[in-house]
Amino acid sequence: MQRAAKCALRLDLSRAFCLSRSGTVVVMQKSLPPPRDEEEKAMLDSMLRVDHAGEYGANRIYAGQMAVLSRTRTGPLIQYMWDQEKMHLEKFNEILGEHRVRPTLLLPLWNIAGFALGMILTRIACLLAFEGTMSCTVAVEESISEHYNSQIQTLMEAEPERYTELLQVIKEFCDDEKKNRDTGLEHDAESVPGYLLLKTVIQVDCKAAIYILQRI
Amino acid sequence: LCCGYWDMAALIRGLRAGRVLRGLGSVAVQTLSPQGSNVRRAFHRTILLQLVNDSKSDTSVPPPSYHEVHTAGESSSSSAHGESSEDAQPNTSFQDQSGEHGEDYETEEQLQARILTTALEFVPQHGWTVEAIAAGAETLGLSSASTGMFNNGAGDLVLHFVTQCNAQLAETLAEQNNQVQLGQAESKKTAEFMRDAVEMRLRMLIPYIDTWPQAMSILLLPHNIPGSLKHLSTMVDDIWYYAGDRSTDVNWYTRRAALTGIYNTTELVMVQDSSPDFEETWAFLDNRIKDVVNMANTAKEVQATGESVVQGLMGAAITLKNITGMNQRR
Repeated sequence: MQRAAKCALRLDLSRAFCLSRSGTVVVMQKSLPPPRDEEEKAMLDSMLRVDHAGEYGANRIYAGQMAVLSRTRTGPLIQYMWDQEKMHLEKFNEILGEHRVRPTLLLPLWNIAGFALGMILTRIACLLAFEGTMSCTVAVEESISEHYNSQIQTLMEAEPERYTELLQVIKEFCDDEKKNRDTGLEHDAESVPGYLLLKTVIQVDCKAAIYILQRI
Repeated sequence: LCCGYWDMAALIRGLRAGRVLRGLGSVAVQTLSPQGSNVRRAFHRTILLQLVNDSKSDTSVPPPSYHEVHTAGESSSSSAHGESSEDAQPNTSFQDQSGEHGEDYETEEQLQARILTTALEFVPQHGWTVEAIAAGAETLGLSSASTGMFNNGAGDLVLHFVTQCNAQLAETLAEQNNQVQLGQAESKKTAEFMRDAVEMRLRMLIPYIDTWPQAMSILLLPHNIPGSLKHLSTMVDDIWYYAGDRSTDVNWYTRRAALTGIYNTTELVMVQDSSPDFEETWAFLDNRIKDVVNMANTAKEVQATGESVVQGLMGAAITLKNITGMNQRR
């Protein structure tokens, strides 16, 4: 009985999220200023490449999670978060195309790795405690928020006026990710035993991925 | 070699500056003729000073001849001398080297580019060699020893030519793109666009086609490979960008790899093609592009078939699970 009530509450919450979410408007304008020298172009290129690959990976992680959780009560919520990530990926695809940024060579690898990561970690979390199915989501969202934060810092330190549109995009995405993380935390993601271990594993993975992506 | 280069560049600057000042000097002397030959001698000395100053300015050591002339100097002209030396001094400041000072001075890169562009006219005669560069320098009125400026010799000439061609190609493609965006021209299909772009780029080689094999071998030298690869990849990226490719996945790489292959093989066919107006080359190019388009279509079909097969298998598995009762939810 209690379970049914909780289930109903969660579905209500997810519906509320769907209704109140603000869509990202796809604006066809240049989000970046034309680079003034090779160095700036290289820095922006690697930043955008990492972001694009990150959103692509997040997409695949959510796909992996959905493969496990699609028929559970957290399914609709994860579907909603996945749709948001899809929007982010679309935006980055646009920016990459406009500014002739090379996508990373490792995308096929990311495809498989992300899906596997999402699926395996969610299965483990499910086995340990059904409540903790959002733990993978929370850990991933936290790493991504950290990464976006550091990028915002870099851009602000360099020249905030020059990169206003890009900063806007990154800040918006960062806020979205933080919201998703908070949602996950509300769903008792931290109740999984070994959550800290899970979180550390994912954070190390993300850092290694970012390091490689900046180069390849 | 490095020191020789600096002296040569400085001497060239000195010569040009000297020519300018000589012009100035002759005008000034006419107005000052009542004062007699002293002033004229002072001006001549200034010009010599300018030349020497220029050649020494890079080493930033005050030229000894400055003092020599000063001490040897004639009393009546020493003041004018001092003034004109003072005037000469700012011209020999470090602003020279950055090329920002006045319209008479150009940067080293601009000078090198001018020499190499002129040298291209002598390539049919001398081949892609340092002799062509020397001939080009002599046409500009510079000493043939200015080839010392080019550390890479013939490699510099070939890379300069490639850069020039690629820039021209990018300009033309951007122009065509503008026209399409303004609605003044029809947009071409991808295969046709590729064909036209590659043909346009390869036609730029026609004036040098006899010596092009030599240039290709120069580009394959180990120390030239990074440069030539970079130019090739930029050119291929340009062509695909203006063809409308905005892919952000593995297609980005496969398309550029395919075009690189097409371009390189067509170039090889072109250098040993003896048909009128290289008809065989363009026919070869047509066939290669058709091949790539076919391959892309086949890949799409294979992927679609693969997906259907996987779906079919999944359906079969689920049916089996249903039959055996394994699919029931708790």
